[in-house]
Amino acid sequence: MTSKTPLIELQDVTKKYPLGDGEFYQSLYGISLKIYEGEFVAVMGPSGSGKSTTMHILGALDTPTTGKFLFKGKDISSYSDDELAEIRNQEIGFVFQSFNLLPRTTVFKNVERPMMYGKVPSEEREKRVMEALRLVGIEDKAQNLSNHISGGQIQRVAIARAIIMNPSIILADEPTGNLDSKTAHEIMGYLQDLNNKGRTIVVITHEEDIANFAKRKVRIVDGKIVSDTST
Amino acid sequence: MEYQEIIKSAIISLRRNIMRTGLTMLGIIIGIGSVIMIASIGQSAIAFVTNELSSFGTNYFQIIPGGDLFSAAGGASQDPLTLEDAEAIEDADISNIESVAPIGYASRFISANEEQVSVFVYGITQAGQNMLKPELVYGELLTDANSTDRVMILGIDSSEELFGEGINPVGESVRIGDARFKVIGVTKSDSALMGRFFNSAAIIPLEVLSDDIRGDEELAEIDISVEDTNYLNQTMQDVEFFMRERRNIDDDEDSNFTLTSFQESLDTVNTITGLLTTLIAGISSISLIVGGVGVMNIMLVSVTERTKEIGLLKSIGAKESDILTQFLIEAVVMTVIGGIIGIILGILGAYGVSAVVGIPFVLSLPWIIIAVVASTLIGIVFGLYPARRAAALSPIDALRYE
Repeated sequence: MTSKTPLIELQDVTKKYPLGDGEFYQSLYGISLKIYEGEFVAVMGPSGSGKSTTMHILGALDTPTTGKFLFKGKDISSYSDDELAEIRNQEIGFVFQSFNLLPRTTVFKNVERPMMYGKVPSEEREKRVMEALRLVGIEDKAQNLSNHISGGQIQRVAIARAIIMNPSIILADEPTGNLDSKTAHEIMGYLQDLNNKGRTIVVITHEEDIANFAKRKVRIVDGKIVSDTST
Repeated sequence: MEYQEIIKSAIISLRRNIMRTGLTMLGIIIGIGSVIMIASIGQSAIAFVTNELSSFGTNYFQIIPGGDLFSAAGGASQDPLTLEDAEAIEDADISNIESVAPIGYASRFISANEEQVSVFVYGITQAGQNMLKPELVYGELLTDANSTDRVMILGIDSSEELFGEGINPVGESVRIGDARFKVIGVTKSDSALMGRFFNSAAIIPLEVLSDDIRGDEELAEIDISVEDTNYLNQTMQDVEFFMRERRNIDDDEDSNFTLTSFQESLDTVNTITGLLTTLIAGISSISLIVGGVGVMNIMLVSVTERTKEIGLLKSIGAKESDILTQFLIEAVVMTVIGGIIGIILGILGAYGVSAVVGIPFVLSLPWIIIAVVASTLIGIVFGLYPARRAAALSPIDALRYE
């Protein structure tokens, strides 16, 4: 742990989803978790355990039903949609399992898009896109359409996009779920490199060998944290 | 996000389903295209008629037999105009009248050199000749001296049919039935309207027409020129009053003759064209509304199809306003492109019709502006609901959408 104030803190977070007729499905039962700057955390759990819900809350894509979500010490549980959008734009980089890129849009445009929402001046955008693509080794694919590159390349573009706004944290939801093991390890290697350079990374996975890339493993079962171990 | 980028991205999205986009635009294309075409043809017609009528001059009006233009055009009035009517008007003390020109006509065969052509033979006086101002190619016009002689001015087409192209027939002899006429001149008009009448006609003195050809004093029309155009309508009323008195028409009876001025003809053309354009615009607006509903429908389909994409955009920081703007601009780009295609097709259609009919082509700029504004508004109005639906999607629901 590299600093005293956690980057992200969940305090006794619950999440319920309405099913209609007054019924609810509860996904999280009082999760408390602190993630510090520079950490590489794997959130693990079987399907339906609540790990994806945890990631959605960590990523400011969803808000807790009860409990607090502190981002850099600020409670953002009651932020408006637009305020949350700004947090996602400035502070969080996402890598999803699938549907990571805008269809029939160039790699360049995909990576550039968060900067457009972040109102980064156009003259600066090109430089930053090319730098990010170089970092993941696919600067030569900049003008390729997103549907004309391989699965591994798509995930690398997603990583480039995730870091383009220089966010505080990168959230990867099963980032290697659709990849063969060699490519999967390659992608995890990129995330590990980023972590070694000081970036905070949270990976959601159900695969042990993927989780082994992380320095800390948080296991969730039935909406509760059952173990939290660091290596 | 900059509008330039949003428009680019909208075009990319629309190109993904080029066929669907094209079909959706069709309603807008047809609506806008038909309005532009009709409006341009209308403007062309007005320009043409204005041009033609101004060549006649606006300082005179006509009296034609029959109670309305249609019965007059039929030429079968039970109360024909006569030379006596014209003389009575001339002799009456009606102010502002400059001159009165009685014009008679008959449809006859003219023969010469064993050639025979069917022509309208106009009988005019010196006053009529002054008003019609025929342009001479050969020879001379009618004069007071030959107003009772069997002399004839041929239209250029009639002359060429009878004597051949480039031949000066002045001095030659032609026949209408048994009556022999001496050709004293050839006239030609480049005006489409005047040309149609006079190039294939023949002009002879009115008296000769009445005595030797028709055998009666019936007239086709009486043309009256005025001294001051500002009081044209007043003079027309005075003449009408005089004619009604002369013909003993009761107050509750319609006139059995019609007065018409070129200004009135121009007004009529303007009114008809305006009505036609409004009517077509009304019908086209239905097409535009149907087109707009089509756009809304396709945009709703597009929002559903691209739910995951919307989730992805929200996850990387797109605000509700960003998504709303993106989808709204997509709808507007679709309707504006449709509108522009419609404008181009409308202009081409109008150009084609003008070329075929032989009238000058006039571009209707106000209608083009109206078309662009209308297509933009349709995009906004019918794109708003789908765009709001897209913007309101929660990022999680959108990302999870299968």
